[in-house]
Amino acid sequence: MDLYREDVLDHYEHPRNQGELTGEGVESARDSNASCGDMVQFYLKIKKGRIEEVKWKGIGCAITTAAASKLSEYLRGRTLQEIRKMSEEDLLSKGIGFTVNPGRMKCLMLPVAVVRKVLGN
Amino acid sequence: MFDPKVLRRDFPILTREVKGKPLVYLDSAATSQKPREVLLAEKEYYEQHNANVHRGAHTLGDEATQLLAKARQTVARFVGVREGEVIFVRNTTEALNLVAYTWGLDNLKQGDTMVTTVMEHHSNLVPWQEVARRTGAKVEVVGVTSEGLLDLAEYQQKLTLAPKLVAFGHVSNALGTINPVKKMTKMAHKAGAVVVVDGAQAVPHMGVKVNQIGCDFYAFSGHKMLGPMGIGVLVGRREILDPMSPFLTGGGMINEVTRENSTWADLPDKFEAGTPNVAGAVGLASAIDYLERLGMEEVRGHDKQIVEYALQEFYKVRNLVILGPKDANYRSGSVSFEYQGVHAHDVATILDSEGVAVRSGHHCTMPLHKSMGITASVRASFNVYTTKEDIKKLVEALQKVKTVFGK
Repeated sequence: MDLYREDVLDHYEHPRNQGELTGEGVESARDSNASCGDMVQFYLKIKKGRIEEVKWKGIGCAITTAAASKLSEYLRGRTLQEIRKMSEEDLLSKGIGFTVNPGRMKCLMLPVAVVRKVLGN
Repeated sequence: MFDPKVLRRDFPILTREVKGKPLVYLDSAATSQKPREVLLAEKEYYEQHNANVHRGAHTLGDEATQLLAKARQTVARFVGVREGEVIFVRNTTEALNLVAYTWGLDNLKQGDTMVTTVMEHHSNLVPWQEVARRTGAKVEVVGVTSEGLLDLAEYQQKLTLAPKLVAFGHVSNALGTINPVKKMTKMAHKAGAVVVVDGAQAVPHMGVKVNQIGCDFYAFSGHKMLGPMGIGVLVGRREILDPMSPFLTGGGMINEVTRENSTWADLPDKFEAGTPNVAGAVGLASAIDYLERLGMEEVRGHDKQIVEYALQEFYKVRNLVILGPKDANYRSGSVSFEYQGVHAHDVATILDSEGVAVRSGHHCTMPLHKSMGITASVRASFNVYTTKEDIKKLVEALQKVKTVFGK
């Protein structure tokens, strides 16, 4: 598969939902890959068990950036229960929707790890 | 000078394809490829001579023991030391840990100082941090100049702290910088320190004579110098090795064992507990034979030519910031760069799609990258089989980075 296919590059060049959230019901967490200097922080605004708003910020390679962008789109509007039930693999396949070779898995996993941290699993 | 294009035929792996394109292997500082004769030497050892060494009065046992001894002689001659001063280990990391966990823990105490440099591979920094943590000693780190050379003024200044141990690399794996090891050793000895040199990136590319450098310990790996993985060397001066405690204990390294106590075998056996990697040693000796046939002066001549060519071609590419000295006389083995605006891992993945293998990341030098204000870089690294065409293909492949990212 071509890693740098068009929709991935599009998400890298025009990341969706970048920014920060504050206020009531906002949960946040961050994590980094020390080895490549990438950092991602997610903000989820939760109301009545549903993810009402998603923002994220960070620095990273194209893979991490596109993955965070795609994941942020996927999360919005879904229930906590639904997301908490999803395994890492589910979040990768459904939430991010593209994959990479084993050497780059850490880049793809960073946003997933951060979202799971926000949700406490 | 040898022709790398002809010599490539000796390296079976260089004929393979990656992603449907001919492999362009530019990651030799991570590990070199191996000539056919090294692979055959290991195979022949297992097919014809394999037995455990130093025990049993049978023919194969004798042959294996002799082969190990001969490999040791080859290594000793190659780096200019006596046979008993060559200790076989797994790799450079293990060699440096051996020094840390024996000489280091035995001789350092609260308030003592060790000096190392910011351009070290983690394997020549973390073991000293560990010694510091366990003994209460501290580690002082010498920086680099804006030209990518070791800051010798700061080095001199740190030596006034009267360190007990000074550790530095011969050639930087990330900057490619060749350090003036002979001079640095003399300075450190004058300050009363024991000197440890990490030679992992030097021995593959230039004639290294440890006796002329004058350091107390010198470490290197077989797999970066056309030899197999899993065999490395710690060279130590006999006078300092003799009174040292052993590292690992058990079989092969003892003289006499009673229920209560043991006495240690003579050098080098004292530091080689357990069954050694005989096939690896045989393979390493075969790699040395190969390098010596080429001639180490020629090997360095080719290395310098390739580094010079890579510098020249990389400087022409927009968006590349080259790390380390600009003058190939001060460099060996690799050229690292930052592609501005594109993450090093993305550059490497795109290069891989063109069959070009490079290293991306911090190359086990996180403090160095931090000191330069970057998180990751791309490293192209070379060995005797590297051709100017390899460099050209890398530069061509960089065009794809531009196409994909528009930068």
